[in-house]
Amino acid sequence: MRQLTRRQAVVLGASGVVVALAGWNGEVLADTKAAAEEIAKFTGGKTAEKGKIAIELPEIAENGNTVPLSITVDAPMTAEDHVSEVLVLADGNPRPGVARLQFTPLSGKAEAAVRIRLATTQNIIVVAKTSKGALFTEQKLVKVTIGGCGG
Amino acid sequence: MAEKPRLKLPSEAKKGDVIQIKTLIPHIMESGQRKDKEGKVIPRKIINTFVCEFNGKPVFTANLEPAIAANPYIQFSAKVDESGTFKFSWKDDDGTVTTAESKITVA
Amino acid sequence: MTLGRILTAGVAAAVVVVAGFALQANDPAVAKDKKAKAAKVVVPLDTKGDASVRPWKRYDRWPTRDMAKYNTLAHLASPPAPKEPRKLPEGLTGDPAKGAKLVADRSRGGSCLACHVMGPAGGANLPGNVAPDLSEIGKAGRDDDYLFNYINDARVYNAETVMPPWGSHGLFNDQEIMDMVAFLKTLTKPAVFKTELDDPNKRPAPVEKRDNLDPLENPGMWAVEKAQAMWKQAGANGKSCNTCHSNPTAQFKTWAASMPKWEPRLNKVLGVEEFITRHARATMGTEWLMETDDNRAMSVYLHFLANGTPMQVDTTSPGAKAAIARGEKLSHRKIGQLNMACSDCHGIVANHWIRGQWLGEPKGQLDHFPTWRTSLQTVWDIRQRFQWCSVNIRGDELPPDAKEYGDLELYLASLNQGQKLSVPGIRH
Repeated sequence: MRQLTRRQAVVLGASGVVVALAGWNGEVLADTKAAAEEIAKFTGGKTAEKGKIAIELPEIAENGNTVPLSITVDAPMTAEDHVSEVLVLADGNPRPGVARLQFTPLSGKAEAAVRIRLATTQNIIVVAKTSKGALFTEQKLVKVTIGGCGG
Repeated sequence: MAEKPRLKLPSEAKKGDVIQIKTLIPHIMESGQRKDKEGKVIPRKIINTFVCEFNGKPVFTANLEPAIAANPYIQFSAKVDESGTFKFSWKDDDGTVTTAESKITVA
Repeated sequence: MTLGRILTAGVAAAVVVVAGFALQANDPAVAKDKKAKAAKVVVPLDTKGDASVRPWKRYDRWPTRDMAKYNTLAHLASPPAPKEPRKLPEGLTGDPAKGAKLVADRSRGGSCLACHVMGPAGGANLPGNVAPDLSEIGKAGRDDDYLFNYINDARVYNAETVMPPWGSHGLFNDQEIMDMVAFLKTLTKPAVFKTELDDPNKRPAPVEKRDNLDPLENPGMWAVEKAQAMWKQAGANGKSCNTCHSNPTAQFKTWAASMPKWEPRLNKVLGVEEFITRHARATMGTEWLMETDDNRAMSVYLHFLANGTPMQVDTTSPGAKAAIARGEKLSHRKIGQLNMACSDCHGIVANHWIRGQWLGEPKGQLDHFPTWRTSLQTVWDIRQRFQWCSVNIRGDELPPDAKEYGDLELYLASLNQGQKLSVPGIRH
């Protein structure tokens, strides 16, 4: 039995309880209740194993209006065993949903890149589902820069 | 917005190649979070679905939320085993669908 | 050979030579160009009207502050700097907790963190390093009088200061300044940063790596196609750009790199955008006002056609020289409620972080304009960039065709000679 991460515990134990997960050193708090609910819906309440997902994001986004995001899931893409769906969430946005990506064996690779909007420094959470029912997850913090003169 | 989508993908490949496809469609992706000068919320209007098919079979689909930036850029891969036509479609909240095509010769 | 035969041969040779020229000039575009150069054609320009909307109205979604009480590049209005430090108001005490909030309040002209690291203030979240680190100012032996006056109006201690006159210019009142003084006195330990990226002295300077000429990377490139279509649009008198310029790729290989230029008929410097307005009006009866999408697209296109060409503007003619001298002076004028000059941010404190943004030096600041702005999803030309700088430091902008902007643009261009054009740029 793998050690449950705090996020997995939230997924299992989320029942209307607002859980603030520390995104970073206790200072960047994100209310991940909405994100946790989305994850629970996607996984059917099951736990997702950490790993197999590479998330590419700038360390500091030059602005929150368009941030390049690249996701690669290390998995075969055969008819019998392929990544079928990937959920992308941003836990600090007004609503966490970013995209749902549906892959097929014809995708060749489970990889995609998009450009996203971020309201503030926050975590991008990715959950991947395979045709065999396996679940993987990963997350990454992205800082959104703060403008110079106050605008 | 009647601007045409832009595509970048090869027109030739070898059988079994995994090619990279880049797409971009001009679109404001109005999030539904912004307010106008009078303080009224500007209604959401986004591209909510992108579909790529090859010779009629689904390759990749993306369901998009307002967190996708304006002028949505979508890059993904496709494995090609035969010649044929890629069909791309973008569906707007208002129901309109924009489409584009690209042929590829696979040796 | 007899003289007759030599002469005949000579004439024949001359005929061949002339025929050679005629063959070269078969391309009517090139022929027109050569003819124009030979005749020293004066390029048609409207000299009567304005090149932008009148009365000038600020862009939607820009701050609506009216800062007529403070200097602009066109007029002086700011109150004079005080000569002496003020005496601290009687019985005024500060609340450090309130001060901690005030120093991080971005709505008051950027917040102190735009320029200063200040210990834990604002969560030490991406502070700037334009100015000294104040994390240990509480140990520096400065008394309340000094700290108060430095915030209120630092010019009483340093006439050349970049520090805004927060009190004199009405950004903070005396109580608020005292609160901030009280907070500063609690700062006795170096700031603790969550990551290296938060520490402005460790943050690496940004390097632009994107392929700005790839239309899938840079939506600014779509303006090129738009302008190519505009090129063939007939104006009110039935003419289009194409009528006189049927081969823009060949004809405009270097033109934009020679702009902006002193225009004696208008007694001002014309940049590409204003040139477009006045030339289109004069030759086609077409209205492509500055700061419209059409004008910006055409400016992108005309610069794009000269990509790779090193900038080479006239700096030696009397008109140009005088304009550059004026432009340099304007770059030193303190403007706005924050009382800053171009040469403050892009000279004295260039190559530092202002909050999370890098302040660049003048060289390299013009060759990528007009540029796509990713934060705004639109194209900006250099005049809009000038306007925003003013508004952002709480000063009023001028109309984009203001002669002061022309002087400033030519001065900036003179500092960018040799920089190769790469337009449209892509920036935040």
